[in-house]
Formats: sequence, C-alpha cells, structure tokens
Amino acid sequence: MPPAPPTVERPQRWDAAFDPAMTEADVTRLLAIPPFNKMLPAYFPKRTPLREILRHDTSIRHYRKGEIITRQGDYGTSAFLILSGTTRVVLKPDLPPALLGRQAPVKKGIFRTLAQFWSGRRQPESYSRAQLRPNAGVGARQNENAEVHVFLQDLPRVLDQHRTEEMAAGDFFGEIAALSRMPRTSTIFAASDTAELLEIRWQGLRDLMRADNQLRQHINRIYRERALASYLRATPLFRYLSKDQLDQVAAQIEFATYGDYDWSGEYKRLAQSGSVRPEKEPVIVQEGDYPNGVVLLRAGFARVSQKFGSGERTLNYIGAGQLFGFDEIAHNFQQPQSPVSVQHSLRAIGYTHLLIVPTRVMEQIVLPSLPKNELPPLVSLTTETSAVIPDAPTPRAAQDRIGAATLEFLTANRFFNGTATMVIDLERCTRCDDCVRACASTHDNNPRFLRHGPSSGRLMIANACMHCADPVCMIGCPTGAIHRESFAGQVVINPVTCIGCKACANNCPYDAIRMVDIRDEHGDFMVGEDLKPISKATKCDLCVENHGGPACQRACPHGALERMNLNNLATLTDWMKR
Amino acid sequence: MSENLPAPDFDSQRYERPNQAWICGHAAEGSPCRSGPDNCGRCRATAECVPGLEKPAGESKGRWRCTRPGGACETGPLPDGSCCRPISKCSPVPTLRTRRGQLTRAVVTATVALLLICLGGSWRGNFINPGELSTPHSSAAFAKLHTGTNQSDSTCAACHKAGALGPNGLLSAAWRAKPGPFEVIQLAHTRPGEMTAIDEACQKCHPGHLLHQPNVVRDISCSFCHQEHRGAGPIAATTDAQCALCHGDGVSMAAAAATGASLQPKNGTTTDSRPAAGFTQVLHRFAEDHPEFRVHTDKRRDPDTLRFNHARHLTGEAMPMLPNGQKLECASCHQPNATGISFRRINFEQHCQVCHSLQFDPETPGLTLPHGDPSFVSAFLRSLPRQYADFAARSGLTTEADRKQFAQEKLQRLQARVASGEDFEERVFFSSATTGPEVQVGSVRGPSPALYPGCAYCHAVKSGAHGKAEITNPVLIERWLTHGEFNHARHVSVACTQCHAAATSKETADVILPGKSSCAACHSPQGGVVDSCTTCHTYHKKARPLR
Amino acid sequence: MSRFRRQFFIGIFLLALASGLAVMAHNRWNPALPNYAYFTGWVLLAAMILLALYNARKRLPFLPLGNSETWAQIHIYAGFFAVVLFLIHLNFRLPTGWFEGTLAWLYALVTGSGIAGLFLSRVLPRRLATRGGEVIYERIPALRHALRQEAEALTLGDQTKSPAIAEFYVRELSDFFAGPRFFWPHLLESRRPLNALAAKLENLRRFLNESERATLEKLARLVRQKDGLDYHHALQTTLKLWLFVHLPLTYSLMIFSLLHVVLVFAFSGGAR
Repeated sequence: MPPAPPTVERPQRWDAAFDPAMTEADVTRLLAIPPFNKMLPAYFPKRTPLREILRHDTSIRHYRKGEIITRQGDYGTSAFLILSGTTRVVLKPDLPPALLGRQAPVKKGIFRTLAQFWSGRRQPESYSRAQLRPNAGVGARQNENAEVHVFLQDLPRVLDQHRTEEMAAGDFFGEIAALSRMPRTSTIFAASDTAELLEIRWQGLRDLMRADNQLRQHINRIYRERALASYLRATPLFRYLSKDQLDQVAAQIEFATYGDYDWSGEYKRLAQSGSVRPEKEPVIVQEGDYPNGVVLLRAGFARVSQKFGSGERTLNYIGAGQLFGFDEIAHNFQQPQSPVSVQHSLRAIGYTHLLIVPTRVMEQIVLPSLPKNELPPLVSLTTETSAVIPDAPTPRAAQDRIGAATLEFLTANRFFNGTATMVIDLERCTRCDDCVRACASTHDNNPRFLRHGPSSGRLMIANACMHCADPVCMIGCPTGAIHRESFAGQVVINPVTCIGCKACANNCPYDAIRMVDIRDEHGDFMVGEDLKPISKATKCDLCVENHGGPACQRACPHGALERMNLNNLATLTDWMKR
Repeated sequence: MSENLPAPDFDSQRYERPNQAWICGHAAEGSPCRSGPDNCGRCRATAECVPGLEKPAGESKGRWRCTRPGGACETGPLPDGSCCRPISKCSPVPTLRTRRGQLTRAVVTATVALLLICLGGSWRGNFINPGELSTPHSSAAFAKLHTGTNQSDSTCAACHKAGALGPNGLLSAAWRAKPGPFEVIQLAHTRPGEMTAIDEACQKCHPGHLLHQPNVVRDISCSFCHQEHRGAGPIAATTDAQCALCHGDGVSMAAAAATGASLQPKNGTTTDSRPAAGFTQVLHRFAEDHPEFRVHTDKRRDPDTLRFNHARHLTGEAMPMLPNGQKLECASCHQPNATGISFRRINFEQHCQVCHSLQFDPETPGLTLPHGDPSFVSAFLRSLPRQYADFAARSGLTTEADRKQFAQEKLQRLQARVASGEDFEERVFFSSATTGPEVQVGSVRGPSPALYPGCAYCHAVKSGAHGKAEITNPVLIERWLTHGEFNHARHVSVACTQCHAAATSKETADVILPGKSSCAACHSPQGGVVDSCTTCHTYHKKARPLR
Repeated sequence: MSRFRRQFFIGIFLLALASGLAVMAHNRWNPALPNYAYFTGWVLLAAMILLALYNARKRLPFLPLGNSETWAQIHIYAGFFAVVLFLIHLNFRLPTGWFEGTLAWLYALVTGSGIAGLFLSRVLPRRLATRGGEVIYERIPALRHALRQEAEALTLGDQTKSPAIAEFYVRELSDFFAGPRFFWPHLLESRRPLNALAAKLENLRRFLNESERATLEKLARLVRQKDGLDYHHALQTTLKLWLFVHLPLTYSLMIFSLLHVVLVFAFSGGAR
C-alpha cells in the first residue's frame, strides 16, 4: 500500500477570527446598541449573518487616555466605532513621526537571518505543519492579541500645540483607509481613560455596508466630510486659503467616480482579447470643452491624451494628488478676453476617484489667493502646456524623455499603478538570475517573481508584485490574508490564513500572484482532508522581513534592476538617463 | 518585433527556479513534472498524484481517492491505492550553474592533486624553486659538497632549513619564521642588510664576514648584495643602492670613521694608501659626491728617478722619426698587455734603445754600451781594444791582423778626444750635458741622432765607494689607483691624451692621471655611461699597494 | 552627467589615484624596506580576498551587506588596482620558476577572464536588447522543442500534403531545428546563416502553389523565431561561460597563493 499523502486542515473563512476573545455576550451586547440594533438581520446573506460578522470580524478594544488608536500615514484595514468614552483627532499641525511611535516592521532577527544560509537546500514551497497551524501565534499578523499600545506621554503639551477635535460614542472613523485602501489621513488617540472602541476589519465593514443601507449612507457622509477636510488641507493648491475660505471650497467641491471599482477583471478580459484602447476608457474631461473646473485626482489614475490623427496619443498619466485643467482656468482668469478650451482629454484608467473644484470657485476663491509667480504660464495654443501640478514634468516633456512608445507601453499595461514595480534595463541585464536567486534565498528557497514580462525597447517590467497604489488584489480576500504591512504599506500575504481561493491571483491584472501547491519538509505535496492539494497565493513581499530592502534590487550587479515607483514618471525618466 | 521569438508560456502555478541545481529532464520537452528533481539530481517522479484513503466514519475499509491538482482523473486510483497515471522517470539535467560548480570542484581537486604530487615528489625542489641558482651554486660540485650526491635537486636544504621538511614541517616553519607571517611590526622594523638565517649557511663555505674594510661597523647579510635565484651565470651584480646602504648613510659612515680611528694604531691592518679616517665619506653617485681621486688630492709625485719628459717625446720638434719612419707616439712605448687592461712594463731594450742606442763612439755606429749593471759598463770600457776587435769580427773582418788594426785605429781616435781613460769613463757615467759636440759621445743613424751624453742623462748616477758609479734603479709604477680597477681595453676609443696630460708633462714626477671630472664627463647620468660603484670598485678585494 | 558616467569617472579617478599612490609608495619604500615584498604580498592578498568576497556577498543576498552593484563596481576597479599591486609585488619583473610562474599565469588568466567578462557583460546585453525579444535561458530547450514540433507538424503532419516542403524540411531544416545552431555567427553578429536559409526558402517558393506558399510563410516565420532563439542561446551562453574560467581558476589561484605564503615564510631569510 503506498503511503497516504500528508494532510493538513484546510483553512476556512473565519478560521482565524479577527479577535478570538470575542464572546457571544459581547456580540449580544453589540447587537443592542446603535447602529447594530437598527440593522435588520434578514437583509444579511446566509453565509455572512450579522451575528457572525460581529463575532469574527470585530474586536472590542480598550484604550487609556493618550493612547494612539490610528496613526496618520498608516495603512489600516479596519475601521473603528466608538462605543464609549471619547477620542480626539489631531487636526493641525501633524504629530511628528517620533511621537507616533513609528516602529520598523518585524524584521528577521539575527538567527532567522543567518538561518537562511542553510535554508538554500530546502524543498520548494515547503512548510512545516507548525508553520501552517492557525492560532499557533506565529505569522498571524491579523491576530492582534499581543497588543502594543503607544501613548502620548505629554498629552497636555500635544493638546496645547496641536489643534484637535473630539469624537464621541457612535462616531465612526478609519473607514476611509479601510475601504479605499488609502493610508490613514489623521492620527486619533483616546481622550478618556475608558475609551472603548469596536474595531471592524474591512471585510466585515464591507459586508455590513452591503447589507445595511443606513450604515452605508452614514459612512458615505462622514467619509466625505472627513476625507475632504483633511485632504484639502494637505493640497498645495489651497495652502494660501484661510479656514473660512477652505470651508467654502469644501462646501462647493464636487465628487466624481469613474470607471469600475473592480476594474481589474474587466481589464484582464480586455487585455487578453487585445482590445485595450484609450478610446474606450471613460472620458472625464474632453479636449476642446470649456473648462468646468480643476480636476483633483483623489485615487486611481487618469490618462492625459491628445487627438492625433484619427486616434489619441497619450502624453502622460496622472495619479493621486495631481491636478488637471489648472493651466486653462488660470489662463482664462488672467486673460478673460481670450479664453482657451481644455487642451487635453482626461480619461479614467480603471477606477478613478476625483474631486472637481468648479471654475467659479477657482476664480473667486482659489486663484486670487495665489501669488502671481505661482500661477502657471499662459496657455499658448502652439506649444504644449502643463496639465498637471506646476512642479511635475509637462506632458510633452514626459513623452520626450522616455519616448512615446514607452509611455504608451506603460499606460496600456497599467504599470503606473506600481509603487515598487520591478523595472529591468535590458541593456544592462546580463541575465545572470542573481536577482531571482537572491529572492529565493530570502524566501526559504522560493523565488517570488518571474524574471520575465512585457518589454518595450530596453525596458522590461518583470512579473513581480508592483505593490500597487490601488491594490485590486486585496479586494475580495475572504480572510484578510493579503494585507498591507502597517509601516511602509507593502502588500503581503499571510500564508497561514491564505485558503488558496485564488481571488487575489484572479484579481491581479499583472498576474503577479502565483498559486503554488505547498509541500511538507520532505518535498511531498500536502493535501487537505478533502484530499485536494493545498495551494497558497504567493508573491513578492518586497523583503519586508529582511534587512536592507528588496533583495532582488540589491543583488543586481549591474544596476539593471530597480524597484521603482511608477505613479509618476519622474523616477523612471531619471533612471532611464542614469 | 513580436515575432522575433516565440512568447514563452509561463505556468501560473510555477516559478522559474534558477536557484534549483537540477532541472527536470522533461522540461526540455516543455512538460516538466510537478515534483521536480531533488537536490541531488535524482528524479522523484512517481505518478501524477499520491491517492489518499478516504474513510468515512463507521466504515472500516474506506476507498482511495485521487488527489491530483486540477481535479481528479477519470480512472481514479488503482485498487491497491496507487495512482493509475505513472510518470516516466527522467534523467534530470544540471543547470549551467551546477555544471560550473562541478567544474570548479574538479579544478580545485586537480589543483590540490597537482600540488600534492609536485610537492610530495622528488621534483619538489625544482617545482618551488623561484628561479635558477647561480652557476656556482647549482653545480654538481656544490651539490656533492652539501648533500654528498651529484643531484643538484635536493640542495635546497643546503641553505634553507625548510628545504628538508615535509608538509607539516613547512607549515610550522612558516609559522615560526623570524619574523613570522603576522609579526608585521617586526617585518617593518627589520633593518636593511640584517643578517638572516641563510647567512649561516653561506658562511659554511665563505667563512668570516671581514671581507671588506676593517672598519665596517655592522655585518651585512650576504644576500643583501648577492641575490640568488636570479638565473644561471655568475651571481647577480651588486647595485649602487646596496653600497649606499652604508656609504650613503651618514650615521654608518661616522661610526665607521670612529671605528677606523681606533683600529689604526693597534694593528697593521690598514694599508699605506688608507686615509686617516678610512673611506668614510658619504656618497651616493660618482658624479655628485664621490671624492676626487686621492692621487690628486694628496698631490702625489712620481718617485721615479729616471728622467723622462713626456711632452718632449710626444711633441718635441727635433724628435727624430723612428727607424720604420713613423712618428713617436704613446703606443710606441705603452703597449697593452695580454688582457689589454693594462700595459706592459716599459723597458730599455724594447722601448728606449731604438733611439737611445748607448753608442759612445760617434764614429762607430753599432758599438754600444751594455745596459744594466754599471760594473758591466766599467768592464766594457776597460776592455775597449777587445770590444773593438769583437765589433770588427761582427762587422766581417776575418783576419786577426785586420781586427787588431781596426781596434788600434779606433782607440787612437778616441784617445784624441778624451783626456784619459778615467776621464772617458767619468763622462760616460756622469755627463748629462745635452748640447755641444764635445760632450757628445755617441749618436745613431738618422736625420737627428739621439744624444748619448752619458748615463746620467736619464738615470740618477752617484759615485760610490772607490769611485765606482752607482745607478739608482728606476721605479716604474704601473697603477696609481689602488682601489679602482681601470680597464684600458674598454677605453680604446678614447685617445690617450684626452685623459692623460702627457703632451704638457715635462717632469718625471708629474702624475698624469686624469681627475674625477674627466671620468665623470662620461661616467655620469649626463654622460650616459654606466656610473655604478661596481664599475670601478670591488667589494671584497683589499686595496693593492702602489707598484 | 548621468549616474553611470559619473560612476565611471569616479572609478577611473580613484583607480588612477590609487595606482599613482601605490607606485609612489613603491618607489619610496621598495629600496628602504628589506621586507618590502612581504608587505606588498600581504596587501595584494588582502586585495584578492576583497575581490573574492564579492562571491561571498552573492551567496548571502539576505544579509544587509550593501548593494551588489556597489560590490561589482568595487570588484571591477579593485580588480584593476590589484593588477598594479600584482606588478608591484613582482617588482615589475617576470617571475621565474615553475611554482611562481604558474601562480603568475593563474593571476593573469583570472584577471584576463574578468576583463573579458566585464566586456561581455557590457556589450552583449545591449545586443540582446537591440535584437528584441526576451527569453529565460532555462526555457530555451523547451521553446526549441515546441518550435520543432510546430515545424514538423507544419511540414510533415497529415494536414499538409506538400511533398516539396516535406522534402525540403527533411533535407535543409531538420538539423536546424534539432538543436542550437550557428553559435559563432550569432556571437559575431553575422546574419549569413539565416540569410542563406531565407534564400533557400525563397528559392523553394517558385515551385509551390498558393496553399503551399502559405505554409512556407509560416515555416519561414518559425525559422526566424528559431534563429532568434539561437541568438539568445549563443549570447546568453557566452554571458555565462566566461565565469567557467574566472571562477574555477580563482579557487586555484587562492590555493596557490596560500601555499605561496606558506612557502615564502618557510623559506624566508634572505628573501628580497
């Protein structure tokens, strides 16, 4: 009789509860207070009843006065509901980083680092059963039982030097970061010794919102209020405005969302059929129209293009925080006698969330506040103009510097999304595979990327996780195994809680996530109790646990490989000319 | 350019793993198996899956289920629980990098083996020898002397103690070397020329270290100047830098001067030519700080009593031609010796007599006085009738009567010119007058006869006991430079008078040696001719006396 | 100035500076220090160990030991500098004797292969990028196999009934598709073999009917792809092969060098 295959328990959604300490009593208590007491359990799908969501996706946390709950700049995947007590949100100025108790993520200790020296002979994709055991306490990043709270020592001084705002029971916060996968916009700390908060991880929040209309509206409202206030404060365009003026702007600003929240599936389908064309992308602003307002990209990306022949030629793409249409409005403001129309088209690529400052607001409030020298040059109809914020390269410059073909290549393949895209210079790369070997030796003898990918000219974008600004892979993970590392925002996968559902791999438009069948220490494939192979989603984690940064980049002897932020082209153009 | 290459089709389940040493043998056909080879390059493929036994609660037997990825196969496992789809075994292929590793290991092994063979065998000496030894030290005689055999291979140990050691011995010898490998400070502080372990070996055959001047203040290692293993032939030449170790160093020279001062009165180790302080001037280059030759600084005079006027012989207007019609020149008298380095000693018969024929009777050319002992001359003069008769016989007069007749006539003529026999002898010995026919006692053939006023014309003649004339023996000094070796043969391209002021020297006592500046005109960096110490000097030889 | 150019100038400047200083130090200390050769030897050995450490760095990518690129730059310039040190250690004189001669030859070979490798590493990637297309080296046999399958299905398969093409494939192309071909022409950037094949295909064309010509077009495309694959194979192999000289000989050189140290000290006394 041949030996039976090694078996291990198949992980399930809610195998690893967000907080194992949540009791039925806690849930019952929660169900009795707003907003949960107003929710109708009947609206919830059978697989995710309200009770189970609260049981598995929430956690009751207690904070003492001065303890930090969320930090500005953190990537968080959960929202908070204040159950009792008060918290304060820091408005201005921001807390210095040291005060936020910034800590490096869990780096490998000296022994684990050195142990990699002999892990080179390990079997591919092998795990010990202990490594995979849920609740074993190792690697379960989602499980925050070992809580470390950082508190502000000199609270009176913070309160004295920083403007803060009180939040009380019933208030939601953190849902912006949780739902839009953006970094937290502000720091919030407990203002009373008995602050009790309900932390809801985003999967739970998502499910709650899906089922409860009121919560959805409530969250949308506070989402807009808070997101806007802090966002406008951080926008350079508005830095000369007083608080009153800013409030006026905020009151009149318009929101718009273009494209598809789940754009990657559509994109993959189009890419496979070879019909990704700029003409099919939703138009935000049409070239030649009257400028209705300045477009301020809040999230996602948009393509700046211009008519060329019978098609459209891409001049640049713009990402979060960049402006469009400012030049034209500024021109019309300065020279009302010779107004110009919008010089370029703006199209949403994938999912784009944007704010529009209407022309009227611009002309009445914003433009008068700007000093003369900060206004952009007048639009000349013969030369190209800057369609982006003043300090960014002009569209034509971007195209000139890296070439039209490369720009088209980056845009068509959506590579601008990457914050750590693996760019390989084929004119320097000797194909030595040092990068892959370095990657393997930092990941238990497993490479986590493929040194191959789409290329244009001397540029190759290798098949490695780009750690997208808009990480669509994280949409739909049932267990939260794929998440952002708290410090630098790397997208990582927790192999313990990954159930091998392929949701992330299917979502990723770049095929950067690979599902691998795992083995035991002897190299035999593991199967679940249902006798099917256990597979895990794997991808580049940017060596988050290693010292010194991404091993691939450090291992390249010829400077041919770089993990690069392609959200704007400045880095790439510099690198191409290096 | 999309058709340049076929687009590789990458399996979404699999990474390319260049870190693995072996590739599945089926990979070349595009269908690698799922397991892949193990780390040692063995195929691990068995079947497409390992079926699992499913045993629902309450059942005793259970049934086998396919665990294949991507869905169970149609047939399902065989009844005995093995997979129905076996995978054919492959021979895994090493990656290029693995091959490189294998080659590296092979090369390392070969290197170690080669070294073991070469170091272990009898050929070791030749193998590690950093360069051929000088001919004397590589001769069979040397080998015999040191090892008792004629094989020159194993003579390393004659100088190097480690030469006889095995591998462990070499290691410990290296460790215990003085200074040792890691004694960096001692390595840095070793003074140049310090004695080494090797010198003990040198001194077995070349005993003692007092080969140079007696006032040398420290022993210099043999190998400081004589570097071995620099190829066959004589041992490599000493360089200026090596001489400059002491001679270029003020401290050493001062110490040597002090030592020399204390040595001098004690024993006669110093020669006459040695200056009081010894040769302790600091010097680096011949043209720069080498002192003027002592023959000049001491204003040496030639002690010879023979009177000789170089200028007259070379440039005198009345100087007659030689019998062969040639003009008198340096080479007429100064003829190189066999080696060409120096010259044959000047002697009367070969170099003077052709002009200075010692013809005492102007009327009788051919009859000359004997040269040499003055008593012979006296005897000759006192037997003049006999000499004339013999001369007549030599000239061809055959009868006794004719010869007597001839002698008689000659004597009568001679007596007409001199007062007496004593007067004649007196004149022959002591006259040095150079003008007037009355003082001339002889002449030679030719347009202008050489004078023979008397012996005293050239020699120092004294009247000794019983009125006997005594002639001081001439002193001919062959070499004036007692420390330098001068090779005339090497300088034949230079005219004699370019260095030697013969054309202006009128006195015998003139030492017409060139000065240092004359030498340095060529022997200097400017002159372009070699100016190293060993060009002129030898280290070990003692200074020769003037002679 | 771009980064690479700046790197180059800084490297050359430092190399020239270090070499100049080394030669000056040589002139200053060579006559003065009796154990001068020991010092230059140690310095040279240290330089060699520094150079060899690059390999260790490559084996420890997970330690924060600095960029491999920085190491490579140091390796390159220190390698050139080590040549200067080597000549100084040799006192600008060819070594005699078997052991030291071999040692010097090993050094020359390791350095020479390193320089050759540097040259190849700078030149060949540029050519690969210019040619276009990209393939992972280990994938080449599989791709070649697939191309061969495709070509054989096209020419010898059941659906194509063209004896002329089948005959042509067997006669002219079967060997071409069987394995990597034209290594040297590819390395020397010669297109002659491909042009010859293309000419033969063109020659065959006039004997074919319309449908056969379509097949021939497809076959010609496969030939071009195979040629591109061979090009990558030739150049990528060369990019890896120089290390087959550089690395094994480095180990030999190290063994010889260590033995040299032992011998020099064991036989010391009078060494100059």
